[in-house]
Amino acid sequence: MTLCPCGSKLDYAECCGPIIDGALAPTAEALMRSRYTAFVQRKLDHIERTHAPEIKDDFNRAEAERMAEECEWRSLEIRNATETGDTAQVEFTIKFRRDKQDRVQTELASFRRENGEWLYVSGDLNPKVTQRVVSKVGRNDPCPCGSGKKAKKCCGTTTELEQE
Amino acid sequence: MTQRFHCTACGKCCYGQLPLTVNDAFKHADRFPLAMVWTPLRQGGKDFATVSQLGATIKLANRKELAVLIVPTAYIPPSFPCPALAADNLCGIHADKPSRCRTMPFYPYRQEQFQAELLKPQPGWACDTSESAPLVFADKKILFREDFDAERQELEEQIPQIRRYADYMLKYTPQLVDNLAKVSLKPKGGQVVTSLSSFLTAIRHPNAQQIARQQLPVLNSYVEETASESSLVEYHRHYLSGAKEMQYLAQQAR
Repeated sequence: MTLCPCGSKLDYAECCGPIIDGALAPTAEALMRSRYTAFVQRKLDHIERTHAPEIKDDFNRAEAERMAEECEWRSLEIRNATETGDTAQVEFTIKFRRDKQDRVQTELASFRRENGEWLYVSGDLNPKVTQRVVSKVGRNDPCPCGSGKKAKKCCGTTTELEQE
Repeated sequence: MTQRFHCTACGKCCYGQLPLTVNDAFKHADRFPLAMVWTPLRQGGKDFATVSQLGATIKLANRKELAVLIVPTAYIPPSFPCPALAADNLCGIHADKPSRCRTMPFYPYRQEQFQAELLKPQPGWACDTSESAPLVFADKKILFREDFDAERQELEEQIPQIRRYADYMLKYTPQLVDNLAKVSLKPKGGQVVTSLSSFLTAIRHPNAQQIARQQLPVLNSYVEETASESSLVEYHRHYLSGAKEMQYLAQQAR
């Protein structure tokens, strides 16, 4: 298996892979993860395709292509994710290296669901730091990583994921 | 203050950065390495109102405001001659040259009444400002005003595009405000440089691909010319990222 670049510890083919290939993201967080992975893999069609209509024409694809090429992507950390009906917010921190410097950027991103499809609407860079919400996750609850699986089958598993 | 002026065609003002109107920038996209140059001005400066009108006004966190000129620019290092300057020190594109060059030494980014000080030649320039030179400015008025008025009119006509660009950049790169505030505190002022690709995106340029195809070879040649000079590293970096972005746009089938 290939570990997914988004840091879920899942197989790429079970995580961001299908979403980048066009499958519907089950949650806004899953879409967020797939957009990060798309940057890592320089598959920017996925970024462009998952923009809300009102920001589509604002997307500077040429610049995004350059950034995707120039950055060494280090990690994605989801700090908080809330969904209310067809809107959602995901706060995340990305680490990357650019111009020989390590950089950290936090963004509070807003999403909207249209016809079952989650879309990226806007992002607030370096928002005021919110306290990380930690709640106890039951073994049968949806995994907090946003993968859509039960916790016991995902991050909450007690058996180590097999490598390779 | 001198009010007489005659250009001796010394070519000394044909070096370094050249502000362009939007029309001139696109018209000469196959000639100049383009960038968007933001020059902030603090409140109290006498050009504040004009700069606000032609550019944008930005609110700062401390309730103060900055007026910012946002100018498509032939982004050339100060030591580099204009690419159109010929070996005989004359303009190689005289009939087609940008309005900025035509209007020299006047400068319509500033009110007409303040133009007299622009007649003073920079050190090393060979402008003739002696008694034998013709009178060009009197009673706070420009006497031969065709070029000045034409450039000024272009600047006014492009205000909606410049505003749209300002709104776009402030929405998507809010950290720009901090950078502008920082350079505005420099004693001699300063500037922030943004990319042509962002301007093409913001104004929805209908033929970005053609502009990109014209820019690409220009940027690549400046990448080479600035490669070995450590003092030109900022320019070099700009040309390099610009070339990458134009390369992408040039290939798009749109």
